[in-house]
Amino acid sequence: MSADIPLLTLLTTTPLFAVGLTLAAYLLGSGLFQRLKRPSWLPAILIAALLLAGALALIGLPYATYQQGATWLTVLLGPATVALGMPLYQQLPRIVELWRPLAICLPIAATLAACYSLAIAWLLGSTDTILASIAAKSVTAPIAIGITEQLGGTTALLLGALLVTGVITIPCVSLASRWLHIEDDRLIGFALGLNGHAIGTVRAFEISPTAGAFASLGMSLTGIFTAVLLPLAWRLIGMGG
Amino acid sequence: MPALGGFLWLISYWLIGEVVIHFTGLPISSGVIGMLLLCATLAVRGRVPTSIAAAAQPLIALLAMLIMPGVVGVFFIIGELAGQWTAILIALVLGTLLSVLTTLWLLKRLIGQPHVR
Repeated sequence: MSADIPLLTLLTTTPLFAVGLTLAAYLLGSGLFQRLKRPSWLPAILIAALLLAGALALIGLPYATYQQGATWLTVLLGPATVALGMPLYQQLPRIVELWRPLAICLPIAATLAACYSLAIAWLLGSTDTILASIAAKSVTAPIAIGITEQLGGTTALLLGALLVTGVITIPCVSLASRWLHIEDDRLIGFALGLNGHAIGTVRAFEISPTAGAFASLGMSLTGIFTAVLLPLAWRLIGMGG
Repeated sequence: MPALGGFLWLISYWLIGEVVIHFTGLPISSGVIGMLLLCATLAVRGRVPTSIAAAAQPLIALLAMLIMPGVVGVFFIIGELAGQWTAILIALVLGTLLSVLTTLWLLKRLIGQPHVR
């Protein structure tokens, strides 16, 4: 046994340690999620992230070192975002069918999804960096990360905002649909996907396949719309340099 | 290995996105450009090639895991944002409730009663 190199330093010289840790936390988190009978208020990703954060704190591995190794996984986000073009293509017939109401609803709803929270945060005195980090809160993660980098926000905070938004969207939609007497799965699904991105979409698939299809539609369209317009709008207002 | 060929397609579209951004200066991420290009290509071809489906499906299924390293980062910036958290949480929760209400109300007006007009 060589005592001159600490074991942790030795292990973290290879990215495989960070990759292995991530895989373990993900699998354990998903398993625990199934065991808890899939609670809607505690998504699998939150369980896994808590496990991973706990593990890093326990073994004393700095986040920056972990993140460096995990790049081997996160680099795949690029092709994974491109892959979303496939479900988008598969839903084209549905988009065409409802193009008029969706074309009216989507820009307004997707804009407001960002604006309400931005306005509230701005009124409460949040800094520009925070505003830039939460602006894409209703957009699916791979697209939102790209948007936030454009705006000059913090990816970690964005992902936290995504988590909170996705989780809170589920009870919000069930409350709001009760108030407005809406029982149409298409509407509920679209609202879940538009506001609650992937987390809302997973929930919609639990309601019905129709709700799920409309949720992924809402998620993709919000992602594209926000990705194209938010950075332009941000530049126009003159924020983020 | 059809998945490998499909993966090469996905990477190529992402790289094309990078090239497009380099020359146009568009403030969009290369992933989004690649996604739109892929969708357009599939629409022109009229079907999803097996290779692309073989690569795209597992990648989409793994999205949650791919963003996990980033999600964990939020626990490590809690200290830096001390005092800002209440504002952020209020903004997110209240903003999401308002936005869900608006979305559903709009959808109900536009799709909910197709026979009204």
